[in-house]
Amino acid sequence: MEQANEICLEQLGDVTLFDIRGDVTILSEPFLHEAYESANNQGARKILLQFEKNAYINSGGISVLIQLLVETKKNNQQIGITGLSDHFKKIFNMVGITKFAHIYDTREEALEDMSGGS
Amino acid sequence: MERLATMTEEVRIEKGQRLLQEGREAKELYVLKEGAVELTMKAEEDFEIPVAILRRKGDYFGTSALVAPHEYTLSARCVEDGTSLVMKQPDLKKLMLEDHELGCTIMRNLAQHLLRRLKEARQELKIHFKTLLKSMRS
Repeated sequence: MEQANEICLEQLGDVTLFDIRGDVTILSEPFLHEAYESANNQGARKILLQFEKNAYINSGGISVLIQLLVETKKNNQQIGITGLSDHFKKIFNMVGITKFAHIYDTREEALEDMSGGS
Repeated sequence: MERLATMTEEVRIEKGQRLLQEGREAKELYVLKEGAVELTMKAEEDFEIPVAILRRKGDYFGTSALVAPHEYTLSARCVEDGTSLVMKQPDLKKLMLEDHELGCTIMRNLAQHLLRRLKEARQELKIHFKTLLKSMRS
């Protein structure tokens, strides 16, 4: 299991992209927290979480993501997710993450859907 | 280490193959040589919680074979073809009883591994509580 993540923030129109490198586990919490704080301080309203191809997300990673989603809901921010394998799309659906965030097959699809509007 | 090598068997593992089943008697310890193995824990009849993925040479699983009551606490499924070394529980037990130094090294490594897992599980629990409290207070 990877011990650290690299999260690069990129502003794509009105969408803030979180480019998340590496597996997502409980050890990802400080990295995601820091990235979210940074985006939030810059007034992000729409956030797209992009996972690396073949990234593994375990139960700890799922709990960290749920924590983030609760925070974004409280702050009325829109969240999209992309880069998930079919395996994790199914898991995210089963744990209810899809009630908080829309899952897109590609980054382009996500940006097209999330850009513009309110 | 030579003795350890003589009691291991190298096996092919294939994508989709279930190597361990949670709740079953822990008869074997596996050491990954190549490929990838996912560890899961059953939550519901149709849902398994993803626990970890093992991809590195030397990653091991089935550690319940080393400790009574010798019952697997996780399931393991191959997600990428490869090979693994397999050690049988009675052979390991015999070896550790005969070679105390090796036995001590194995158990010390196991203790460190389990402590790391415990720490991660506690951190995960803490996140769940923080999320729950935040939801209840808002």
